[in-house]
Amino acid sequence: MPELHEKAPAGAPLTVKDLNTENPRWCVGCGDFGVLMGFKRFLVEEQIPPHETVNVSGIGCSGRVPFYVNTYGVHAIHGRPITIAMGVALARPDLKLFIHAGDGDALSIGGNHLVHGIHKNFNCVFILYDNQLYALTKSQSSPTTRKGHPTNTQPQGTALDPIAPIRFALGIGASFVAATADWLPDHMVNTLKVAYAHKGFSFVHVLQRCPHFDPENFDNKTSAWFSFLTHEKGIPADKRLADKTEIVTHDPTDHEEAFRLANSQRAYFGLFYRNPDKPCYDAMIRQRIVNAKPMSRAGILDSYKI
Amino acid sequence: MEKKTVNNVRVGRFELLMDAGFGAQKAGDILIRAFARMGKYVFIEPMIPAEISPPARTRPALSGVIIRVAEFDLENIGNNTDVILASHEVVLDRRLDDEEHNPNCRVLLDMGDKALPTSGYDRVMKRVKDSGLSIYPFEIVPEAQTIIRSLAGKARNMYYLGMLGCIYNAPEEFVINEIKLTFGTKLREDVFKKNIDLFHYGYQDARDNVPFAYEVQNASGKNGHEKILIDGNSALGMGVVDAGIKLVSGYPITPASSILHTLAKVFPSSGGILHQAEDEISAIGTAIGAYYSGVPALTCTSGPGLSLKQEFIGYATAAEIPIIIIDVQRSGPSTGMPTKTEQSDLLPVIYGSHGDNAKIVLGVYDIVDCFYAPQLARYLAEKLRLPVFIMSDFQTANSYKVIDKPRIFEMKDSNDIDDFVLDHFGLQRLPEPIEMVRTEQAVPGTPGKMRRITGLNTDQTGTVNYFSKASQRSHAVRNEKVHCVQRALKKPELFGGREEGDVLIVGWGSAKGAVEEAVSYCQNQGLAVGGMCLRFVNPLPLMLKEIFSRFKKVVTVELAYGDPYKHPPLAMILRAETLADVQAIISRVTGRPITPRSIETKVKELFHAGIA
Repeated sequence: MPELHEKAPAGAPLTVKDLNTENPRWCVGCGDFGVLMGFKRFLVEEQIPPHETVNVSGIGCSGRVPFYVNTYGVHAIHGRPITIAMGVALARPDLKLFIHAGDGDALSIGGNHLVHGIHKNFNCVFILYDNQLYALTKSQSSPTTRKGHPTNTQPQGTALDPIAPIRFALGIGASFVAATADWLPDHMVNTLKVAYAHKGFSFVHVLQRCPHFDPENFDNKTSAWFSFLTHEKGIPADKRLADKTEIVTHDPTDHEEAFRLANSQRAYFGLFYRNPDKPCYDAMIRQRIVNAKPMSRAGILDSYKI
Repeated sequence: MEKKTVNNVRVGRFELLMDAGFGAQKAGDILIRAFARMGKYVFIEPMIPAEISPPARTRPALSGVIIRVAEFDLENIGNNTDVILASHEVVLDRRLDDEEHNPNCRVLLDMGDKALPTSGYDRVMKRVKDSGLSIYPFEIVPEAQTIIRSLAGKARNMYYLGMLGCIYNAPEEFVINEIKLTFGTKLREDVFKKNIDLFHYGYQDARDNVPFAYEVQNASGKNGHEKILIDGNSALGMGVVDAGIKLVSGYPITPASSILHTLAKVFPSSGGILHQAEDEISAIGTAIGAYYSGVPALTCTSGPGLSLKQEFIGYATAAEIPIIIIDVQRSGPSTGMPTKTEQSDLLPVIYGSHGDNAKIVLGVYDIVDCFYAPQLARYLAEKLRLPVFIMSDFQTANSYKVIDKPRIFEMKDSNDIDDFVLDHFGLQRLPEPIEMVRTEQAVPGTPGKMRRITGLNTDQTGTVNYFSKASQRSHAVRNEKVHCVQRALKKPELFGGREEGDVLIVGWGSAKGAVEEAVSYCQNQGLAVGGMCLRFVNPLPLMLKEIFSRFKKVVTVELAYGDPYKHPPLAMILRAETLADVQAIISRVTGRPITPRSIETKVKELFHAGIA
């Protein structure tokens, strides 16, 4: 079997080069490149061992992310990466778990799983790649497509107002909710670091450009349309843009204020909410094993004896 | 009372019919435990309504137990009932529709509340008499009625338990001991005493007033093996523990849920995780995620859940992740009859999902198979990295019987599988190594072997590859995994040792007990009838065509729909695989198990019609 990737010598620090695999097959200018680079930088800065890392994805452009990071990975079926990740979390709490899902994957076909992933609060970083349409299937409306935007399934313009992912996550009771964008590399890396440090289901909303099917969306040349949320315990504003846009100090323990921000028409990047005390289902279930009186398998039929 | 007739029999069958929620199954459970402890073989089939508490005195309210008791080991619930005890005429009327009573069946009917109009009782009693059966109307003695009233109408099941215990000659102390084990710590002392009193009144009533009794020898102790009394789903659950499976992920669905209930109590003690998922799809996804991470995992479901899991089943095949799926079949399609038995998931299991299908499908014969099947499934799933199905059904899941205590293996690794288990299922040890689509199959956490798995087509290195040769190879490799199981399958047992003849009866899974008994009836009458029952239905044993060629006629018996224009699933598959003109003689969907007598009748019809 040919060696695909050069391995870093044992003990050497992890570099971005160690994480590279093949060249991504995304369109030129795709926002996924930014997220991928930010994610690799985060892994390197945190020196997370690649062999202990599992990336789980669904289907769609962002579903290919695991292929492009030299860790363990599961490219699952459409809408279901959370279900696979749940199994990894229950079976192997030692692994570092990241879920990569698009807006169609997470909020449409897999919406039920997102509700329950958030509710179970199992330990992982969940990255929602929100380009606000279906791209790999060639431009159909998604739950986050803006109203009026024409797509191949709704050429007269998308009929409904979009689901607001941040509001959705807060409403379900997420223990960690943050937002960033593909064109804010430093902010993205810092967001992922804070998400990774949180124990529980860390919901990270990433605005992601799709220059092929929706080039006007997300003006990454200007910054007046969004604000950064900062706090001493939050995520610092992106260095390059910090002096070009509004910076709002927001206490990430303030759930009510987080909701108010999520309800506004303005875009905010940063940490909306964090509750480190919400119990994690995976840890609770595993604790049942610890609490149970160990039983020899030899005796499993004893209670059925006649 | 006329003089009591005592019938000495080798095997008997009786049933208790009541309204749902009044404890018919509890009474039956107590009685068979007493029988089992006395040394009789028992087989009990509960009749469970689809609703929790349907209105009393209506036909849907029928809830009961069928109990078969014998001095020899029982493989099925048998044919017909000798004694029916019904708490009122409506449930009796409903049950008579099933036509499972003996021509000389004795019917004990509680005449119940005198305030009710007698016309209903009169009509049903007439029906009983017109059918040629004997009717024995009775009334619960006034002292017992007072107790029942003081318990808000409950606990009449204890009275019936007393009657049946007496009729089947179970010493009172045996039954009382079981009542104590069942209720001793759960009921207040005075309530418990009332239950015991009701039992005594019922026992006395039958002793003084019921003019017949049955005597079955106590013989189960004779083979010297330790005995257990267990139902199919509990046996599966305990088998899962013994197989070293560490994560079971499911979603509530009748009749698979009780596997989850059983495991919820014991699994953490053996280091297992019982996970209730948000839906059927998530349940299999989580099991796949665990197995991918190196932890043996399983999901259990029934027909509608199977439909929802199909995409993930195809994914597991393509991604080469081991997965075990238990399908406890029920009557379909859709919600169908969730508390009735059927074997109609065969085609969706073998050919379901999408694209080409490579998987292993194993039908369990009985409760013993339920215990050993998880080990075999784990061995196959891990060796082949394919989905492996264990096919049970409502009947197997919910029946209890006395069995020799199975061997416990405490499996740690799939290489550990004991020859005993392989022999039990008629499989030779698989050759090694078995080629995979991807050469590297390392588990997360292994340094230097990082890999990404996918449902996309790949080459040997695991790199996504959409090109013609890689796709053709992937399909061939996956199918070769199934073929190597096919080559390892031993010849199925031919019942009675008959290798050739006029008629060969073929069933699969839980049909085994009925097919084997029917074959013995036919052979005892000198008919050249053979029989077999398949455990592996995908792949099928290679030598079937050759075996079929030695019989003039090959017929199937299966609990799935068929008619003259439509072959039921097993017949369809056997025809396709062997080109033999296989016809179904039983392909019914009444929700009732196949009986040996019904097979015998159909086989004899073939002879009379000159077909065989």
